[in-house]
Amino acid sequence: MMMKESKDEFTTSGDRQNAGRTVPNGVSRDQTKTLSLLQGLRLCQDAWAPKSPWDSHGAHAALWGRPSGSFLVVQGSLSQDQLLCVSVADSGEPVKEFPIITTGTALQLTTSHLAFPDLFQLLHFYTLSRDVLPVCLLVPSWVYTLINLPDHLVPLLGPKTWLCPSSDLQANSMTSETQGTAEMPDTVLCTIQVTAANGALCFINPLYLQEHGDDWLAHSPASPVNRPIGLRRDRRLSTTRAWEGRGLKLRSSTLAEDNSSSLDHDKGSSSPVSPSTPEGVVLRRASGTSKEDPLKRASTDSLQSPLPQSPHRVSWIEDKIWLNSPLPSSLLQPPCLELDSLSVSSMEEEFEPASSPSLPSPRFQLADKMKNRLSAVGQALGGLVSPQRRLSKRVQEMAERRAGAFAEAVRGFVEDTLAGGAAPGGTCTEMLQDVRSALTNLREMLFDCPEIQSITDSVGDIPDFELDAMLELALHKVALKPVYTHLYVCLKTARRDDGTLQRLEANKSTLENRSLEELEGAAGAGVPDSSMMDKIQHRWTTMHEAYSPSKKVDTLLKVCKNIYHSMNANAKPGTVFGADDFLPCLTWVLLRSDLAILQVDTDYMMELLDPMQLQGEGGYYLTSLYAALFYISSFQPRLAKRQLSAEAHQSLSQWHRRRTLHGNQSRHSQNRRTIRRHGPLAEDGNSSKESSLSDRLQEALQGLEAELEAVKEEEEGRAGREQAQVPETLDLTCPERTDGERTTGNHRILN
Amino acid sequence: MSLRELKVCLLGDTGVGKSSIVWRFVEDSFDPNINPTIGASFMTKTVQYQNELHKFLIWDTAGQERFRALAPMYYRGSAAAIIVYDITKEESFQTLKNWVKELRQHGPPNIVVAIAGNKCDLSDAREVSEKDAKDYADSIHAIFVETSAKNAININEVFIQISQRIPVIDADGSAVKGFKLRRQPSESTRERTCC
Repeated sequence: MMMKESKDEFTTSGDRQNAGRTVPNGVSRDQTKTLSLLQGLRLCQDAWAPKSPWDSHGAHAALWGRPSGSFLVVQGSLSQDQLLCVSVADSGEPVKEFPIITTGTALQLTTSHLAFPDLFQLLHFYTLSRDVLPVCLLVPSWVYTLINLPDHLVPLLGPKTWLCPSSDLQANSMTSETQGTAEMPDTVLCTIQVTAANGALCFINPLYLQEHGDDWLAHSPASPVNRPIGLRRDRRLSTTRAWEGRGLKLRSSTLAEDNSSSLDHDKGSSSPVSPSTPEGVVLRRASGTSKEDPLKRASTDSLQSPLPQSPHRVSWIEDKIWLNSPLPSSLLQPPCLELDSLSVSSMEEEFEPASSPSLPSPRFQLADKMKNRLSAVGQALGGLVSPQRRLSKRVQEMAERRAGAFAEAVRGFVEDTLAGGAAPGGTCTEMLQDVRSALTNLREMLFDCPEIQSITDSVGDIPDFELDAMLELALHKVALKPVYTHLYVCLKTARRDDGTLQRLEANKSTLENRSLEELEGAAGAGVPDSSMMDKIQHRWTTMHEAYSPSKKVDTLLKVCKNIYHSMNANAKPGTVFGADDFLPCLTWVLLRSDLAILQVDTDYMMELLDPMQLQGEGGYYLTSLYAALFYISSFQPRLAKRQLSAEAHQSLSQWHRRRTLHGNQSRHSQNRRTIRRHGPLAEDGNSSKESSLSDRLQEALQGLEAELEAVKEEEEGRAGREQAQVPETLDLTCPERTDGERTTGNHRILN
Repeated sequence: MSLRELKVCLLGDTGVGKSSIVWRFVEDSFDPNINPTIGASFMTKTVQYQNELHKFLIWDTAGQERFRALAPMYYRGSAAAIIVYDITKEESFQTLKNWVKELRQHGPPNIVVAIAGNKCDLSDAREVSEKDAKDYADSIHAIFVETSAKNAININEVFIQISQRIPVIDADGSAVKGFKLRRQPSESTRERTCC
């Protein structure tokens, strides 16, 4: 795993776009110095990596008493791998060994997650950052000038010269290093310093901001540059580790070495706050293989650390940023058009950040300076977050284009839908099904559109369902925005006509005074307090205002998160709250909310959400919301100890079956370009044959009275009864069962 | 390597430890690359099985009798169901039998059924013998495991056996709702690791 990562890093490090993603956070260091150190190390390899018969014993002896940080690399006695022997100036164990393992083409210290393409870069890095070492490595100053040394002298350099601090090479009169006091005025090895003063790009953990605000950003580092190398080395990173060293990784030194020209080029065109000198060290999380949760770790770091001192250390990037926007190199063009994709000010018009999976949302208030910085990050990441925006923008353009086929289709859809409510005989659910299949049709149309293909192709190899989700989101704006209020009216009318709204209201007054326990909730789980309820009410409003079913689901998830938060607030630590606890709690919350609006929103989401999205977390909580509403609307005191009616059960299943069929259809399309075209036809066929959800509900309600009678009878003859008869309405192989069959098959469901 | 999303639903009386089992299953392998879910009612975990990745989407259901009729909404479309009972509560085993029957009649046609006798750490208070339960499970061709969420016994077993029983993917991929991760391994690795 590690191997792959590092290999990958190296193979891609030369890509131009890496300059944009890499945070060149070093400051004011002459790049040639980096080169000269690397080259110097290369030239005098024999000096620091003496060959046999040198072994670890020899190295220990040679390093004994040497300044802290002095090192040699020797062959390990047992294995092929090499040993890094470092003088740590510790009286107990003056010289420590660190095995260097080779995994494929990468090298790393066994105890570290950082991998490097070669030994020189590894050593170079450890002169800058100690990572797992007790001290930074110490390189004699003459190494920096080695390239100026006449060739014939170089081979003469051996371990002795290397370790002897007083060796004075003629090429440079620079005083040689003694412990911690080396003066290298023009070589400032502070590549890991990120300073706000110089406008270096910071990645800031939002958790840190939540805790500490962003005032610290205004503090200017005293003198971030020209810090003597020795000071840097001597600073024990452990004390300031949370902010100082963590997460730093050598992206690849070859970056600095081999691509200096492209970097230089890039630096001109990239973010205005990018530092003047790109370096190979970038901020990143330690390792993809780490078991530890970087988010958790990040929060721990930031919470534990005191206000950071300048120069500012920055923390982890939340994984999500990278994860959900997997872009191949081809896409990572300079994000000119999406400069502020991440900036707070440019969020889509709808409440919180769109498509929550991909962006951490800065919910807290930010000072302007922080916004600017986030915006800067946005520039760096623009290439990653832009496809959705580009897609949405393009779809919008296409929808407005005169005489365009897509524009015509959208217009036709909007007109039909707006006229749809008046059509006699058509139920609201049917209309929503039509909307759903029209969305699918429009999506197919987009897929076949060269303009869109050029964007989706550039997004690269992402799973179909992600592509679907992106197109859906883009479509919602052009197709659903003009019609959603109309759909609300239809849904509400339909729900009033079938009596759902009335029953919700009636049962609400029956149930709303019940405690959580009376709603079958477990003791121990908390319910939202009044301020949390306010927050939740606000979210419900937001949810209702959104026209995109996907965004509605995002908001629903936030509400559910709030509910969990309240459940856990006063619970015993370690309590795991599953559905046994969550559903009653959700019901409790619903009983204090506007049920009519929630019912409309729930229907809207359930019918219009892409079926593909119904299996995941959003689908789960939407199902829970639907279930809880259903529970309330069908609550019957007399059935209190029994199940809902079989009719209700059946209508739920009907709905679910329809959705499942649709879902499978699109999921099964292997060759989407061809099969998908056929999809809508088949769907139309199905949906017209199947009963609509509200029809089923109506039937369910009509059946309730009869059901009550049946229940009474059953209760009387309860003892000794056989297993319940179970209706077979759910047989997927015969979707067109007639109503007659359904009602006869209906008795009750299992206890 | 292909990734298959497998919806798994959890059924069983309230208090038998449904969510504790899943929590156990999910917690030890906290994958920093997967966004954690918002609560224990719905959790996911991806495991490798042979040359496939199985992403379990685990849907918990409320076990209270009053909510039982809502279960079809949850188990619909599931590839597998884990029905949990408490070995110290005979009644929960009877409930389990009812769930089995309901699934047989209402559930997805090829649903894999796993029976988990939880709280096997409390064998002193045992009310359901392991043999009876095993015999019953065999009679319905279900997976059977006694588990202890508390002591982390046999938790992974349940899911491994589910992986084994999930039908192999067809050549044309039509048997399952999976999708191919077409990205090159190196690229998908990079996603996770890029600076």
